[in-house]
Amino acid sequence: MILLERASRWYGQIIGINDVSCQIGAGVTALLGPNGAGKSTLMKLITGQLRPTTGRVQVLGRNPFANPHVFRRMGYCPEHENSYEDLTGREFVTMLAAMAGLTGSLLHARVREVIEAVGMTASADRKIGGYSKGMRQRIKIAQGIVHDPEVLILDEPLNGLDPVGRREMTELLQRLGQQGKCVVVSSHILYEVEQMTQNILLMHRGRLLAQGNIYTIRALIDRHPHRIQLATPDGRALARRLLDLPCVLSVRLNDAGASEIEIETRDPESFYAQLPALVLQEGFVISRFESPDNNLEAVFRYLVGEKA
Amino acid sequence: MSDLYIFRNTLRELNRPGRLWVNLLLVLLPAALALAARAAAGSRFRPETVYGNVASSLIFGFLLVILAVVNGTGVLSQEIEQKTITYLLTRPVPRWRLLLLKFLAAFLMVTVTVCASCLLVALTLFGVGRLSGAPIGRDLLILPVGALAYGALFVLMATLLQRPLMYGLLFAFGWESWVPNLPGYFRRVSLMTYLRVLAPHSREEPETLDIAQVATTLPGTQDGIPHQMAWNVLIGFSVLALMLALYTFSVREYVPRDETG
Repeated sequence: MILLERASRWYGQIIGINDVSCQIGAGVTALLGPNGAGKSTLMKLITGQLRPTTGRVQVLGRNPFANPHVFRRMGYCPEHENSYEDLTGREFVTMLAAMAGLTGSLLHARVREVIEAVGMTASADRKIGGYSKGMRQRIKIAQGIVHDPEVLILDEPLNGLDPVGRREMTELLQRLGQQGKCVVVSSHILYEVEQMTQNILLMHRGRLLAQGNIYTIRALIDRHPHRIQLATPDGRALARRLLDLPCVLSVRLNDAGASEIEIETRDPESFYAQLPALVLQEGFVISRFESPDNNLEAVFRYLVGEKA
Repeated sequence: MSDLYIFRNTLRELNRPGRLWVNLLLVLLPAALALAARAAAGSRFRPETVYGNVASSLIFGFLLVILAVVNGTGVLSQEIEQKTITYLLTRPVPRWRLLLLKFLAAFLMVTVTVCASCLLVALTLFGVGRLSGAPIGRDLLILPVGALAYGALFVLMATLLQRPLMYGLLFAFGWESWVPNLPGYFRRVSLMTYLRVLAPHSREEPETLDIAQVATTLPGTQDGIPHQMAWNVLIGFSVLALMLALYTFSVREYVPRDETG
């Protein structure tokens, strides 16, 4: 449904995206990358707000720039929270639904339906100026889906939502993906994306680093030594026992009191599977457990290193 | 259906509570000044002269121009500043149509405001009974033409420039204030010149003249502009500027400034 062929976009001397080629089909696809990676630029190219400096962008077989034929079948939820502050949520969604071509009773029925779907029925007749960040996010999503688009582009749609809101919106987007719609969601939080989909596009500094299944990406990551830090009162004893595990490459005591240890492993899945049994069996007390490599920045470090 | 929503929402945005009060003040200001002039003149009060002064300098020279600048540039720059342009540009409405509807809303807003103000001034000076003695009918016809020409120009500026309001104000109160008073043919490059041809107002002669006025009264510096030519220029300019604005808006990228990353 979405095709990019060697698309680049420059803002004067500053690069937005650089030589990006990819195809995005039905289902939920996450566009993952840290701030400034080029996610928003890519979304603006797909939603026809920008033209590529070089290369080609096609949505539903057409050039999307200022193209009403594409917009009739596409929904967009921008990242920013700005809106028509003096309109109520319902008026806002109704106006944009009418602009998308809905009329008469279908218009009002559909507006009611999507407002309910995003959980805004109770607040729909309040002015947007008085909305919280989460409510703004919900009403933005409502305007994006009100005309039942085949392609839905959402820029950081879970920002500002509370955990319940995140779960509800994640489920809503998954449902849309299951219905065969092409849903593209941008995020800079790996965990958030993992809850939503397995298809990801990984961007960094304007380039598309990787595309595909999230487990493939994880496998790429797992080829590198993975660090795990533990805090325990009996660090030396735990370190000795951990060195017996075949998946552990090395163990380092981080402080003089040996209460913090850092483990290096090439097989984190296996390590995570074996650690609870070992701890229970030997009666170790673990007060802190974290992996500095289990975040998005680490993923990018690995992948950039891999490419280099 | 979508046209109605766009038009209505633009009118609503142009009449937000803060702006509505300013507009109301602007409508009342010329009438208030006319009332003050009437009181100050006492027995020497000549309604035609006071009306001419107020209509020429305040309604045509100030109110029409300032409202056209603010509303004309505002229809687009406000959407860009608020970032709401994103919602409009990703809907299946052709861009030219979107801008045309917004322009029409701004045009209606300016026309109604200046005409209301003009009518109030006439009522203040002539009263209901003697209203036929005022050139109000002619002014109510020409003011929309001015709103059309200035509106089209400022909408065009908004499609082309980063800070259209600033440049619009410079143009309105720099160029349009000075150029119509210049000698020779140079004054023909001002819209106000043609508006004054169509709606001349008898103004009170001051005791002393400034140099610009002296220059325009020197023999050989007056060039008569026929009415038909003034009509042609104003309508032609409006159509051309509006078409250029619609074209520019259809082909240019409009992304809020801090959203280019």
